[in-house]
Amino acid sequence: MTDSTDPKRQPPEHPHPEPPVAPDSTAPIADPEGLAEAVAHPTDPCVGGSQTEPTATQEAAVAAGHELANVEAMVGRMDDSGTADTDPWGRAAYVDEEVERHPAVRVIREHLPRTIVDLVRFRDETTVHVRRQDLRAVCAVLRDDPRVRFNALSDLTAVDMLRLRQNPRFDVVVQLYSLANRVRLRLKAGCDDGQPVPSLVPLWNGANWLEREVYDMFGIVFEGHPNLRRMLLPDDWEEGHPLRKDYPLRGWREFPVYNQERTVDRVRTRWTGRGPS
Amino acid sequence: MSSTTERQYTRDIEAAGEPMEPGPDFVRDVDALGTLNITEDVRLADGARQLTLNMGPQHPSTHGVLRVILKLDGEIVTECDPIIGYLHRGTEKLGENHRYAQVIPWTDRTDYVAAPANNLGCALAMEKLCGLEAPERAQYWRVIMAELARIASHLVWLGTHALDIGALSMSLYCFRERELILDLFETFCGARLTTNMMEIGGFSRPIPEHLPSMVRDFTKVFPHRQHEYATLLSANPIWMARTKGVGVITKEAAISYAMTGACLRGSGINYDIRSAMPYCVYDRLDFEVPLGTHGDTYDRYLVRMEEMRQAIRIIEQCLDAVEPMDTPLMAYESSYVIPPHKGSMTTAEDMQRHFIWVIKGFSPPVGEVYVAIEHPKGELGYYIVSDGSPQPYRFRIRSADFVNLSILPHLAQGAMLADMVALIGTIDIVLGSVDR
Repeated sequence: MTDSTDPKRQPPEHPHPEPPVAPDSTAPIADPEGLAEAVAHPTDPCVGGSQTEPTATQEAAVAAGHELANVEAMVGRMDDSGTADTDPWGRAAYVDEEVERHPAVRVIREHLPRTIVDLVRFRDETTVHVRRQDLRAVCAVLRDDPRVRFNALSDLTAVDMLRLRQNPRFDVVVQLYSLANRVRLRLKAGCDDGQPVPSLVPLWNGANWLEREVYDMFGIVFEGHPNLRRMLLPDDWEEGHPLRKDYPLRGWREFPVYNQERTVDRVRTRWTGRGPS
Repeated sequence: MSSTTERQYTRDIEAAGEPMEPGPDFVRDVDALGTLNITEDVRLADGARQLTLNMGPQHPSTHGVLRVILKLDGEIVTECDPIIGYLHRGTEKLGENHRYAQVIPWTDRTDYVAAPANNLGCALAMEKLCGLEAPERAQYWRVIMAELARIASHLVWLGTHALDIGALSMSLYCFRERELILDLFETFCGARLTTNMMEIGGFSRPIPEHLPSMVRDFTKVFPHRQHEYATLLSANPIWMARTKGVGVITKEAAISYAMTGACLRGSGINYDIRSAMPYCVYDRLDFEVPLGTHGDTYDRYLVRMEEMRQAIRIIEQCLDAVEPMDTPLMAYESSYVIPPHKGSMTTAEDMQRHFIWVIKGFSPPVGEVYVAIEHPKGELGYYIVSDGSPQPYRFRIRSADFVNLSILPHLAQGAMLADMVALIGTIDIVLGSVDR
């Protein structure tokens, strides 16, 4: 067993202690059109205020389910015919080899001209690297623009790029899906340790648990998240964030070895042919 | 009779005369077990009482080790806080520390009631990263196994969900039919639960000769059995009273909470990856995607029942197509695929190739892919980042039920306490997949 006071085995000093500190005001989130406020906490027919008669509320919700005609328009199907040259907003434009002709890229350039950092295309998948401060604004634009309609959040996770580049250290990865166009898009926003990333919970409630998991596993703080605490690990976990690349596979903790003497006895049994007396 | 039993019996008689030792404090024992106990009783300012009830993690209706902390006003839930992570094994971290071919067995352990579907998604993601494709015959067999896994998963869901609500006999029938599917898995690969079935590039093991006829028999038997389930439940007044209008998910809520699978289609939104972005051979198969109208628990029950019927249709079509085929099952021409085991015991070159592939693995090109398949629970996505080394730089599992479970606080708000078991059951969670 190694000495637990070995400085190499100790967890490194964590830059931001837990619970997360309030993000600094020097990095405001770009929200030019007040999109976040406009869509924050939409009125939801399932959740009223305090409900005293659940059956009546549920019946009302069932009735309301039939009247949501505007969602039908959101999941309408787009025609497969046509090429990128004839229809610049059709499905063919999404798989065009020229990344600049990707409809999402054009929409982002139109609304937020200077936010795109990099464009990558690999195996027919498009990755758009955007500035960290603009992540929520970009998602709001892509969700609400009628020409692209990336209205479904597929996944939200992060990658620790420690061994691959100097800075920024982390990439927050957002997978979007368009229910109408049936295409995927990947957004990436680089952030350094301790830099807050705008939360996507005002846009999609599904981002709530996904961001909590990213905070749990990587220690990335999401600004504007209603309830940012650990998701999979216990609340009093003190050993940092396990999916960081500098976190060893078995953690920093020394685990007790049970039955060590007996294991040695068993080995000796096999060698000498005699069991422990 | 063994002497051990007699000795035990004598000891019991001897002990009967002695005073019993004081057992552990009953209340504290319940706390440690943590099934269903009141932890807090607060009288609010307006005179109402607010109970804090701890449900799980050992409660039988939480399908594993889900723990839910409920705040109650009478019998109505005012606040719900699911606590997960009791089964967290760090599969993503393990994936980053293993070679590509070694990662696939770990995916068995995430959603263990539909292990072939997990394998399929992982194998497809790695194949896309390497830029290769499995042969057509292997694709058909993959679809057959994935659809069998869908039926097996839905049977477990139906049995346990109905058991929670009160239909005890359903679990007996459903697990009876699930045994047939597990027998098919055992015939195919030797394992019943954690199958480790798919490999990068197809299947390296041959298909057993009698397997197609076994699957064919199953497709003939199962529709009649499923008809029995429907006669037991679909028009059952107790079943309808417990499920109709309970746990309504509107279309907007379904999209906002990133729901997928039957939870999304039960609300009437047509998103099935098999038809929206077809993989394997699903674009050549004829099947329908059932949609609900009300978005309640009963609709999700109907959707999943219809999905099982459609799965049988898909399996029959695949069998018709694949039975005459005599083409290879593995894309051996690619260097990313394990070399054939055949010559490795006779020729030195084959043995070296096989040895080096197994020991050192292979290095896919630098890049990243996100591949999603239609898992029985919903969208199962694998996001793999490669830095050109034999191990994934980042291995992310987007499991459907983790995201689907996040709607539980929303559904539970204002629901009756007795409906909580129905709400947990209708989301169809497996905690191995939620916690990963």
